[in-house]
Amino acid sequence: MMRFVRRLFDANVPSTAREDDLELPWTMRWSHVPRRSAGPDFHRADYRRARENARLVARSTLGEDLWADLQRQGYLELRSRLFPGVTYRLRVGLRIEVLCEPGVRPPWRHPYLCINPTYPLPEEEFFAHLYLYVRDSEEEIVRVAAPQPWDQPLGRTF
Amino acid sequence: MARLIIPNRHGHQTVEWDTTVDTEETRAAIEEAERIIADARRQGCLVSRKVGDQHLLDTGPFDPKAEEYQIIAPIAGG
Repeated sequence: MMRFVRRLFDANVPSTAREDDLELPWTMRWSHVPRRSAGPDFHRADYRRARENARLVARSTLGEDLWADLQRQGYLELRSRLFPGVTYRLRVGLRIEVLCEPGVRPPWRHPYLCINPTYPLPEEEFFAHLYLYVRDSEEEIVRVAAPQPWDQPLGRTF
Repeated sequence: MARLIIPNRHGHQTVEWDTTVDTEETRAAIEEAERIIADARRQGCLVSRKVGDQHLLDTGPFDPKAEEYQIIAPIAGG
């Protein structure tokens, strides 16, 4: 059997991910995994490596300019294509904050949008995914968003 | 080298292939990447492709000459 080039970027492969095993999370069930967790088989070192790996992908996904903005500001903002006068403020691991210019009626009753990945991901990695959704597929954000009156950490990221 | 990035709870894993040679191993890796992308899309994932120094969501057909693809997680409210 031919061995494909499959690896983690991090040379220190976590014990939970053997080199030749690809974990395809959309093929698995995650409802048993607690909030803010990657699963019971994850230990402190696994979380550390996962976050380090995720940071590489998040930076590569956003590009250097946006990554630098995120590091400097702690958030990225995107103007809505669908709602004039509305801006989305994205922060790592937290709900999207909906900001409206003076006189603009908010599209939702509440100012925070709770949107999670359907499987556990490190929060910086999901931040980059969410940025792509808001910028390139805002309709999907509008379709799934759960408006909430307060801010809090996302449940499916860690 | 080109690659498909698969973000998961480990951070990410990759399938990689050499775009400069046509070998059995290269073809097998390309087929693997194409199969993973098709399966992920069927399960509600999106796909992004690197353009310049950043990723853009991409709905087009798989191009094995592209520098980098990434599976984007499906999202849900609440």
